[in-house]
Amino acid sequence: MEIRHYWSMAVAAVGFRLVLVLFGGDLHLASRPEVSTPLTSLRRLAEGYWLKQVSMSPYSGSMYHGSPLLLSVLGPLTSKRSGGHHSHIYCSLVFVAVDFIAAMLIRSTGRTLQMARNRSLKSLDLTKSVNNSVNVSAGDTASLIYLWNPWTIITCVGSCTSPIENLMVVIMLHGACSRLAPLAAFGYVMATHLSLYPAILILPVALLLGYGPDTPPTKVFLQKGLSANKIDMSDNGKGTSQKGFGQFSWKPILHFILWVFIWSCYVLSLNSIILNKVGGLQEMFEKTYGFILTVKDLSPNIGVLWYFFAEVFDFFRSFFLIVFNMNIIFMVLPLAIRLKHRPCFLAFVYTAIVAMLKSYPSAGDSALYLGLLGLFANELAEMQFTFFLFFGYIGVSLLSPVMHNLWIWRVSLSLYLYLYLYLSLSLSTHTCCVLLLT
Amino acid sequence: VQGNQRRYSTRRRNCGRVTLLHHVSGSAAATATAPWIPASGSLRHVAAGSTVPPRDLYGTTDTYRLFPTRRRRRRPRHLCSAPPPAVSSGQLLIPRAAPAARMAFARWVPGPSRPVLFFLLKTLPLLVLLTFSSAAPPAASSPAAVHNNNWAVLVCTSRFWFNYRHMANTLSLYRTVKRLGIPDERIILMLADDMACNPRNNYPAQVFNNENHQLNLYGDNVEVDYRGYEVTVENFLRVLTGRHESAVPRSKRLLSDEGSHILLYMTGHGGDEFLKFQDNEELQSHDLADAVKQMKEKHRFKELLIMVDTCQAATLFSQLQSPGVLAIGSSMKGENSYSHHLDSDIGVSVVDRFTFHTLAFFEKLNMYSNASLNSLFNSYDPSMLLSTAYYRMDLYKRALNEVPVTNFFGSVMKTIHTDSAYTGFLAAHNAETPLPIGNDIVDDVMLQNEASARRSNIEETKEAQLRSHGWTEALLEQLEGKNSDVVVMYGLGTMGILLAISTWLSM
Repeated sequence: MEIRHYWSMAVAAVGFRLVLVLFGGDLHLASRPEVSTPLTSLRRLAEGYWLKQVSMSPYSGSMYHGSPLLLSVLGPLTSKRSGGHHSHIYCSLVFVAVDFIAAMLIRSTGRTLQMARNRSLKSLDLTKSVNNSVNVSAGDTASLIYLWNPWTIITCVGSCTSPIENLMVVIMLHGACSRLAPLAAFGYVMATHLSLYPAILILPVALLLGYGPDTPPTKVFLQKGLSANKIDMSDNGKGTSQKGFGQFSWKPILHFILWVFIWSCYVLSLNSIILNKVGGLQEMFEKTYGFILTVKDLSPNIGVLWYFFAEVFDFFRSFFLIVFNMNIIFMVLPLAIRLKHRPCFLAFVYTAIVAMLKSYPSAGDSALYLGLLGLFANELAEMQFTFFLFFGYIGVSLLSPVMHNLWIWRVSLSLYLYLYLYLSLSLSTHTCCVLLLT
Repeated sequence: VQGNQRRYSTRRRNCGRVTLLHHVSGSAAATATAPWIPASGSLRHVAAGSTVPPRDLYGTTDTYRLFPTRRRRRRPRHLCSAPPPAVSSGQLLIPRAAPAARMAFARWVPGPSRPVLFFLLKTLPLLVLLTFSSAAPPAASSPAAVHNNNWAVLVCTSRFWFNYRHMANTLSLYRTVKRLGIPDERIILMLADDMACNPRNNYPAQVFNNENHQLNLYGDNVEVDYRGYEVTVENFLRVLTGRHESAVPRSKRLLSDEGSHILLYMTGHGGDEFLKFQDNEELQSHDLADAVKQMKEKHRFKELLIMVDTCQAATLFSQLQSPGVLAIGSSMKGENSYSHHLDSDIGVSVVDRFTFHTLAFFEKLNMYSNASLNSLFNSYDPSMLLSTAYYRMDLYKRALNEVPVTNFFGSVMKTIHTDSAYTGFLAAHNAETPLPIGNDIVDDVMLQNEASARRSNIEETKEAQLRSHGWTEALLEQLEGKNSDVVVMYGLGTMGILLAISTWLSM
């Protein structure tokens, strides 16, 4: 079922962003901690670019912690001034375009997923139930959710580089769902290069390339296969696809690994050219990945564990860092085991966990996983407690800037603690209830 | 400061003394007794028996003092550190060396009759100066310095309660100038400052310029630089020319440079070619002209606007000859300037007409207005002022309708945004190996490959390998030579193309 007026709504979302970019100079979204983090802030990128222009290392002064490629692409745009508009307007226009491309890619991913789902359900002779249950076009819904999500709009307008990271993750998922190994490898390498955490998405990508897009559990297919083998051989017409259902093919994986190798060599060589005289790759790794993992900057962000970082004793700090990073790593394997037949959903769950538990979360991560949430609208249609979760989430999101204001400007109690506890709790309950479905 | 205190005590004793005016009708005798007086012939008649003011150290007539000669102060020598101004336009300024030379000459040469002797003495320093001026390089006017700061010198030359309006005039201008953007650091305010706390003031610590008492000009944001007995002709001319004693703080100095626009506003009692300072001294028009000329030679202003609100104000700037000066006075020769209205509460007139109408013009403006000087000057209506506001623009080269009033009365700069703000820090580019060299290397390689093709296979392959190594080295050198940004851009473009091709191929 197509969504009516899809294109008009998509274009309206882009137009809304353009209006905000061109005329919303007073919003000052870039100064909010929800939007700009030490990793994604565009002002820091401009500073890093200037440092590079005077042939110092762009990482000096601990201002910029991103990729040198972003410096080369976005740097010149940050220093162009256009009369009358606020600064970074060209970058914001770039981000609007990037968001649109990401939405289109989400749409095509959704289409692929839906086709795969229809195919698998048809092979299970469940077409009747397919027609009965909710059958919205997942791609359209997801892309519209992505475009109209307030978090995405705020990220896009708010001068931070999260839209590019989100685009890379979406490219990766799209490539993996369509089984295009070079595209998936490119997305993976760029996403990992820009921010470290998409590295864990290699598991769902590998599963996607091996198994194909989301499928019901293999047990169902095995049963069906047994019964089909008993009944008739007409399924052999779909034999190739049936083979693809339950079996893991290694060829795409090998392609993928090859292309990952090629792309990573390319990206690393480009980075070493950029950082040729100013510190080289080692400094880059130290200052980007090292910064992400060791959490040096303690300005407030909407992370779950920020408060603990502020309060931990220095003596225990390395232990705490280990715990903090293990928090994510420990979640990877069990979820992979549980959700191995639904790699796309697994990817979504990983992005949600990363958005919650990464060292410098921002609105951009929430934008990503909420957009990907729309891809599974069909499966999630039967979720319970949607009302409660949905409005709880909205309430907490609205409370967050209020509490920030109270905490920082009016120096009331440290309500920030309570704030993000709420936020994290809501995120976690959301995820848990989503998992309940599987 | 000590000198001023002594002056104060002297003034007490000398209060009410007749002001001293000099007039030389070209007689050699007068010039003989006062060789430092410029022989321009515009001086007044000397009252017989009056004392001659002592010479100043730099040989310029910048002050007339009333002290008897026994009170002549010794000024420290270091005040002479400023170079004497060069002679120009026919006005003679006799340098300090003259008296010594004169005395030496007098001692050395006995004999010739006195008038001839003195005539020779007059011409000798003249000749010396002329040679100096011709020998010295012509005063190079600095090539169009950019206007980058505004100063205001606001002088109220009156004291006593019945001159309330002059202080109100000056404070009103002060407020306007501050409102339009000039900060206290660039305002020199000279006031007698005896109105606000005068026992006759019904409104203590308040000064009004209107009988509606809406505006208190003497709020808590008034910084007076020269107050009370420090408002003297000497200090005024020192401020203008910048020749202070070393102990004078910076807030009392006019620290302008060749990019400054200066507003000079003077109000008080004046007359034909003079302005009365504190009922005690006078500033004459040629003193002012001389000070302005010194300022111009020392590049202390780019443009100067002199605004005078006294009786017969236009005569005060009749001697000006420096370029870049614009002057407006509230009345012409033979006319009086009148006060605007009497405040019955305070008991005296609170503002003068000229200043009142000036303020009426400015109260409509804010910092962002671009009203021109032309509109300001045209706003003075002789029937309202009861005098003719005369302005002199022959020394000012720009058209008045192009000059915004904020060039003098405010502090609004034209800023130019540049993208390349940090060009001073750009690292030295690596020696760029131009492309032809690379092409030469490639050509070389080609030639040598061709040459090696004639040899045996093993040698050929070996040499080809060596050559290719050399080629990669050359490529790396080229990479270093070129701007790495360009290389990165190409790399990113290639990445995109490769991605598109590979995706298309694997579909």
